[in-house]
Amino acid sequence: MMPPEDAVAASTLTGTALPIAQEATIRRYVRSLLKRHRRMFTAVVGFHSVASISGLVGPFVLGALVESLATGSVGMGIDMAAGIFVVALVIQTVFTRATRLRASILGEEVLADLREDFLKRAVSLPTGVVERAGTGDLVSRATVDIDKLNHAVRDAVPQITISLVTAMFVAVAMVVSAPILALTWLLAVPPILFSSRWYFRRAPQAYRAESATYAAVTSSVAETVDSGRTIELYQLEQTRIAETDRRIHRWVQWERYTLWLRCSWFPAIEAGYLLPLAGVLCFGGILVIHGTISLGELTTGLLLTQMLTEPVDEMLMWYDEIQVGQASLARLVGVQEVQDPETDSDLEPLDDRLVVDDVRFGYRAGKDVLHGIDLDVAPGERLALVGPSGAGKSTLGRLMAGIYAPRTGSIELGGAELARMPAENVRSQVALVNQEHHVFVGTMRDNMLLAKRDASDAEILSALDSVDASPWVETLPEALDTEVGSGGFSLSPGQSQQLALARLILANPHTLVLDEATSLLDPRAARHLERSLNAVLEGRTVIAIAHRLHTAYDADRIAVVEHGLISELGSHDELVAADGAYAALWRSWRDAD
Amino acid sequence: MSPIMLRDLPLTDPGQPEFASASSFLRWLASKQWQTIVLGSIWGSLWLGALALMPGVIGRVIEAAKIGDQHTILISTAVIIALGIFQSIAGILRHRMAVTNWVVASSRIQQLITRKAVDLGGQLRRDIATGEVVAVASGDVEKIGWSLEVLGRLVGAIFAFLLVAVILLQASTLLGCIALIGIPLLGLVVGPLLRPLEKRESAQRKRLGRAAELATDTVAGLRVLRGIGGEDLFIERFQAASQEVRSAAVDVAKLRSLLEAMQVALPGLFVVTVVWVGAHLAQNGTITVGQLVAFYGYSAFLLMPLRIFMEAAEAGTKAYVSAGRVIRVLSLVRDDQSAPRDAHAPDVTMARLSDPISGLTIEPGILTAVVCAEQSTADEISLRLAGIDATGLDVLLGDIALGQIPRDELRDVILVQDKDPALLSGTLRQLLEVPGSGRITIAEAIEVASAEDVLDSLVDTSSGGGDPMDAMITERGRSLSGGQRQRLALARSLLADAPILVLDEPTSAVDAHTEARIAGNLVDFRAGMTTVVMTSSPLVLDRADIVVLVIDGKVAATGRHRELLHGNNDYRAVVTREEVTSS
Repeated sequence: MMPPEDAVAASTLTGTALPIAQEATIRRYVRSLLKRHRRMFTAVVGFHSVASISGLVGPFVLGALVESLATGSVGMGIDMAAGIFVVALVIQTVFTRATRLRASILGEEVLADLREDFLKRAVSLPTGVVERAGTGDLVSRATVDIDKLNHAVRDAVPQITISLVTAMFVAVAMVVSAPILALTWLLAVPPILFSSRWYFRRAPQAYRAESATYAAVTSSVAETVDSGRTIELYQLEQTRIAETDRRIHRWVQWERYTLWLRCSWFPAIEAGYLLPLAGVLCFGGILVIHGTISLGELTTGLLLTQMLTEPVDEMLMWYDEIQVGQASLARLVGVQEVQDPETDSDLEPLDDRLVVDDVRFGYRAGKDVLHGIDLDVAPGERLALVGPSGAGKSTLGRLMAGIYAPRTGSIELGGAELARMPAENVRSQVALVNQEHHVFVGTMRDNMLLAKRDASDAEILSALDSVDASPWVETLPEALDTEVGSGGFSLSPGQSQQLALARLILANPHTLVLDEATSLLDPRAARHLERSLNAVLEGRTVIAIAHRLHTAYDADRIAVVEHGLISELGSHDELVAADGAYAALWRSWRDAD
Repeated sequence: MSPIMLRDLPLTDPGQPEFASASSFLRWLASKQWQTIVLGSIWGSLWLGALALMPGVIGRVIEAAKIGDQHTILISTAVIIALGIFQSIAGILRHRMAVTNWVVASSRIQQLITRKAVDLGGQLRRDIATGEVVAVASGDVEKIGWSLEVLGRLVGAIFAFLLVAVILLQASTLLGCIALIGIPLLGLVVGPLLRPLEKRESAQRKRLGRAAELATDTVAGLRVLRGIGGEDLFIERFQAASQEVRSAAVDVAKLRSLLEAMQVALPGLFVVTVVWVGAHLAQNGTITVGQLVAFYGYSAFLLMPLRIFMEAAEAGTKAYVSAGRVIRVLSLVRDDQSAPRDAHAPDVTMARLSDPISGLTIEPGILTAVVCAEQSTADEISLRLAGIDATGLDVLLGDIALGQIPRDELRDVILVQDKDPALLSGTLRQLLEVPGSGRITIAEAIEVASAEDVLDSLVDTSSGGGDPMDAMITERGRSLSGGQRQRLALARSLLADAPILVLDEPTSAVDAHTEARIAGNLVDFRAGMTTVVMTSSPLVLDRADIVVLVIDGKVAATGRHRELLHGNNDYRAVVTREEVTSS
């Protein structure tokens, strides 16, 4: 049976924008983790060794018992044997508890390290990288990959370690008690080895594709529920049903394929367990008849052979979880490989003048979005950028906020090149608020404090007031202590934008880039907000990217951006007098004037 | 009726579920796939039965070795190999049935939920939180599938347990009784121990969920965070949550490791008891030494059915709870279902559309712009005009109430683009595939909506060799800007080519240059058809054939844009957004 489709295509539903760690990096990282927790790891292996050795007492006791019963010798009394059995059981129980507990504590510490290391690196990623990669890839690493690692570290790693130790002790016991019978175990090697190699070459990708295609079924249902209104209005019912059915079909194809993989693999594995058992029975039985080994030794050998099945099985069953965990680890550690841009923390602007000089920039090689922009923004000036969608206004805004470095040309703030200043320094001078209105999980106060850690409630409230947010903030059930964000009190997109602007006022940079920062508000509320904002921001440099003309009207100067170039630049009156594209637009906007 | 196998999925018809109670739903589900459940039970019994016979054969080998009977050793080895091969085959066939039972049940429920969701439309989100339905689709479905999967093994485990009990009883009444009492007793002792674990586990999962939420939230808002600062605050917060997860998990581990140790101790004691009693019986000659070894094997084997019993109990309990949640979704009904919809829509080129609540009247064949002083009014009116919610049933088209027109017919006539139209994930081509007259090409619609630059930006992400139509639009169009989303949504509405088109703030996030262009295009493109635009942008209002002002939910004025601008102060205030208080 062939896989229903390319497994990689089926499991990568979102693209990867950030690096994935090389094997060497992962190995280095795992080694450093082991080093951090070496003592605990040693304890786990040590305790488990005691537990497995006590587990081996059973076969030996039963062997001795069989021997003494068969030969009628008084070798070992029955009650004595049972007593030893019970003592061994108690030791095994106690040390099993100790092993499992230590293994869990160790696993949890490692997991905590992993997720905290990841997040620490994630929040210090260069702004340009975050902007370009989008947050989808990072979010999927923070959720899916951490979740998969949870499984791997919590279950697979301890199970495999424990099984490996058990199997080793069982094997040693076999070699010690009945070395000849141990040879029959070699019968297991070919079927298990070859079939597993065949299986594990196909299984991990197939299971990844299976779970990704199943997730696609669930998300199709979720989207159908979430978009119910649209589906209803556009008569998309049949389309949605067909889409869910199509995804079910795709998922079931993978289920069939993995079922086939297992159905092909399991018999070989079971042959691997059956052959040594049959070998020990047949070969061992004959050896007993010939007097080479005793009946007790055969019994012990038989029981040890059966005992080996479980740890080997566990290792095989958990092996692909380890592979999955490894892939997730590579993605989590991958963020550590992002290079920080070279910056110069000594670079200090002399004043607040922002000068853009012949800037060219594009997201892809050979395709510039900006084709030579010159702009000189005086401290305290209000500049509006207007122009059609796709002309490059937002890109220019991001460059002026220091998020990207120009391909050629320069952007300097008070003589210091923005792109070479560390992000932490840039943002104390220039801040960008765009259409993205993320409300963080936490209280309203938490959401404000990130702009200024030591802000008082009075400061917070006054910042909120200057963006017209007071009316609704006052009605919040627990005022500033109200939990907002995902799962909390739900803020409308417009309110979220107000929150973002209030944060900006608290952060208090001297230059602000507002990229359609009020677009999600009711147009009338937006106008009012902008006016109140202007009053608070008096004396600061504001670069406003506007899709509403009244924003432009309120500005000192207007730059019309078209096709990556500034086509008109001047005050509102100058541009109207010049009778260009802006003037035409203005007249249709406000023809009454 | 032939059994439903994996190759038959998805089902052409998922059927009419019973949802009187959770158990009747589960019974209905099982009855739909009884053949594979029965087959799974048969194979499960043969599989575990073969395994149960193995210790006896091993005992015979020991006995034969003791008395020097080589012939029996060879025969018994052959029997072991035969049993091994047989259990392997039966095991595979059982596994196939188990997976089939799981997958068939899961996909049937997913199909049922999808069909229910599209039937309810926008109402579903109002009745039940989206998250709850998603939890049903992702968590509960699997649990129900699991309970059907485990059935075959459960039957097999009961069969094997009884088989071993009979074998033991035949050899020794005492040993048989130990097994018959011991195994259920173990189940009763270990089972309740699991309950407090579940409580701690769910507390730990909750903490883990919280930490995951914080991590997701932090990286999702990373652009904001990097732009304004506060990373330290977030790292500290996350570390605290992460350490809480750790300590909660250690709490779970304390209890779980104890349970795991008990799972070594209790079955171990059972085995020791069997061996101890067996050894005494062997000593006084009631049983042979070979049988003693066999009894050791039987007692170890019996732990397997025991585990299956416990798993089945857990699966059954969870499936029952999950079934309750599934039927809660499946038993919802539309609330605009009551009135009989048996009238036909009048000729829409002649009929006017009138809303009794606001007093709004839409004349056929022209472009009407509606300015609402409050945005919420615009949203309400536009949804009412769709006539598919309970509130819009008495809106009149000509002299027929919308509530009397069959839903499908109604939607062929009127298309409402609400304020926040969802862009469904898929390729751009799929997004724009909406039922319509087929008269309009995608290129035309894109041009009217001025969305050419969206295509350009999509070329970058396209996997189909640079064809923007093959570019993937992620859920809700999150990868696009607000303006881009609106223009694609508009293009989609134009493609539907409905005789009456209602657009609620279709260009609010679009820049003035583009908005002016779209307004002009729209007038030309919809010439002769009925179009309603809810807007307050002068660029659009100026192009409308007629403008209606709505204040406090009622029509306050009607006229051309320029007339109203000069003659109506309220209108002027709303449209030019000058502060009303100053006048």
